[in-house]
Amino acid sequence: MTLFFPLIAALGSQPRAAQPEPGERISFVSCPIVRDTRSVPCWLSEYGGNTYYLTIQSDVSAEVQPPMLGHEVLVEGIVSGTPPICGGIVLEPVRLSVMPERNADCNTLLPADERYTIDFNPRPPGPSAGRLAFAPDPTVVAEPVQPPVGPQTFNLYFDFDRSISFRHPAVLVSILETAAQLQPSLVQVTGVRGVHRLSDGTLLQESVGIAQRRAEEVAGLLGGAGLNVATEIEWQDSESEADGIDDWQSRRVTVILIP
Amino acid sequence: MPRVRHRLSLLLIATVFTVVLPAQPPEPAGEAIPGQWWAPGNDRPLPAYIEYANAYGRVGILNAPGLIDTNGHPFFETLGPNGRACVSCHQPANGMSLSLSMIVSRWRDSGGRDPIFAAIDGMNCPHLPSGDPASHSLLLERGLFRIPLPWPPVDTAGNSITPEFGLEVVRDPTGCNRHPVYGIEGERGEVSVYRRPRPAANLRYVTSSRFGVTPFIGKTGMLAAVDPETGQPVNMNMMADARESTLKTQAQSAAQGHLEVTAPLTVQQLEQIEAFELGLYAAQAYSVQGGVLNEPVGPSGLGPQAMAAGSDGVLGNNTTRFVIPMEDKWADLPDSGDTGEREQNAFRESVQRGHDVFFFRTFWISDSMHINTVGLGNPIKRTCATCHGMHMTGMDTANGWMDLGTTNHPWALEPPESPWVEDLPTMPLFKITCDDDLPPHPFLGRVIYTQDPGRALISGKCEDVGAIVIQQMRGLAARAPYFSNGSATSLHEVVDFYDRRYNIRYTEQEKSDLVNFLSVL
Repeated sequence: MTLFFPLIAALGSQPRAAQPEPGERISFVSCPIVRDTRSVPCWLSEYGGNTYYLTIQSDVSAEVQPPMLGHEVLVEGIVSGTPPICGGIVLEPVRLSVMPERNADCNTLLPADERYTIDFNPRPPGPSAGRLAFAPDPTVVAEPVQPPVGPQTFNLYFDFDRSISFRHPAVLVSILETAAQLQPSLVQVTGVRGVHRLSDGTLLQESVGIAQRRAEEVAGLLGGAGLNVATEIEWQDSESEADGIDDWQSRRVTVILIP
Repeated sequence: MPRVRHRLSLLLIATVFTVVLPAQPPEPAGEAIPGQWWAPGNDRPLPAYIEYANAYGRVGILNAPGLIDTNGHPFFETLGPNGRACVSCHQPANGMSLSLSMIVSRWRDSGGRDPIFAAIDGMNCPHLPSGDPASHSLLLERGLFRIPLPWPPVDTAGNSITPEFGLEVVRDPTGCNRHPVYGIEGERGEVSVYRRPRPAANLRYVTSSRFGVTPFIGKTGMLAAVDPETGQPVNMNMMADARESTLKTQAQSAAQGHLEVTAPLTVQQLEQIEAFELGLYAAQAYSVQGGVLNEPVGPSGLGPQAMAAGSDGVLGNNTTRFVIPMEDKWADLPDSGDTGEREQNAFRESVQRGHDVFFFRTFWISDSMHINTVGLGNPIKRTCATCHGMHMTGMDTANGWMDLGTTNHPWALEPPESPWVEDLPTMPLFKITCDDDLPPHPFLGRVIYTQDPGRALISGKCEDVGAIVIQQMRGLAARAPYFSNGSATSLHEVVDFYDRRYNIRYTEQEKSDLVNFLSVL
């Protein structure tokens, strides 16, 4: 008992972490944490003495998809005023990017804790009821899409230091479908090397060459899928200054279809 | 002596399981059943429906268009100089694959001269002496044929692909990958991997493009393969490494590779083969312990007739369509008092429980490339049906390659090397070193050891190392061993592999129920 006392006293003397205010932008790189629940697992991460709720396990249709143990995650989000979920301060919206290098220290999987429940009704951790969790309601009739007129711009966004992935087929298909209607005479593909400001002031910059790689991959994919028109391929560093506000948008390829 | 002691202990374990778990069916017998071999060019008709016995019961082969005359049919006739036909490695009795017991039987009955033992791929390497069992050890011991692939990879137009990784041969027990002619640095520039033949049945499902097929691969964003005739993307679900896009390209490639034909198959031959394969269904039809599987009042997902009637291109990982629909028909069966019926019902209830384990029992799926990297997170708490989600077959719905660890270290089956055992590794081992200027493999890093790089030998991608296209789950009882490298000799070992790989901690009851479920598919 006496052995534990100093430890308890030390813990009690630590200053409490400052609680972030709703609306505050938070950005950090940290290990993700999985907390199991009776239903699907929650994804959390710790920064500045606080625990943040990132998302839950869902399916490929989810807007926010969970990160990966074994890797750090770059978190960019705004503190929500909603009650905590799974013991974490809710970030909404939140953008997550799995960092490419492996980190064996990111291996925390917490057991289900009866104090933490998910109050909403997620897709269960097994077979679904027949639809993807966030798929559009099939009974809702979509409004007819107007034929494209004039230059059409598409952005493909990327995880930090990563190129084409599972995130991109939907946008690529959309570009092809628009091109089929627009019959462009020129395609401009511009890759951008992103830069990112964390909440502690640290500046993260993507690898040299990533912008070129992204641009060439996107152009190659579009050409390989049948978009055989003149294509200009460019790449550049991000022109905007990293300020911690939506910096994820600097990690991108912009495709412009010009009639 | 150590080898003998090792096998004796396995026998004892098997005996214990037989005693403790009476619902467990017998493991596949080591002997093929006489009279089942379908030799090339035997000219007998293939009936519209036929059943073949196996250790678990009988597999049913349903030819939907009806009886066909195999005389002159390119699937059944010898097409090349080595005496093989398609049917050589796609035997009706083996659910249109080729079981190890059948291979061993053919060796014995033909004195090693059956065309399936042809030097080109029925030997560990073509330079080895013919007629010596050691030259065919991977085929005779694991049911594996040699698959020589160009190295570095080439695309469908024949253009060389610059791989994202270096390939070194760490272990070459077959002598092929370091051979001056057949080796990686040899005259032919090939890498040899060793794989099981996949079933040439239920291919309407396997090749369906009704779900998740776009010009881009859903899991990676890369370009999908296209049908060279139509230019349309395909689901890339047929081969272990997805290297063939259609049944016709597969047939053409197999004829030139496995059958050693000197001239390409004709358009008419390709169309005959394709039409035959698209109308053919295979599934277990009768269970020794569970009785008739394809009875009209039974579970709607069992039996070859269900395969012929089912919808392809349907996601079954949901409670509306299911992967293998059973409608709970074998849950809580009544006790009529009849001993035989009681035993049958007990087995059927075990099958139902196995289905429920397959479909609903969650576990943590972790560190598996192309599952944990496609937006679901790592790990994900899901079930078997998450990956085995295609309605009726249990394949992935599209672009179904992923790395479960069947060929990659540290999960691939490797004998424990020590001075105390005589068993030596039989599979080749490669060291993959991924390029420094690209992201590492997210789970295995930049240095990977593998028995078979799988999809990476086609794509050249570091992330594809060891990724293998998910197999269909039908007709399993007829075609042991399992996994692309034949590393699971029985259904029990299949379940055991997953149990170890994902730390599932199945109970013995769950394992037994799962095996029983798999045995009736």
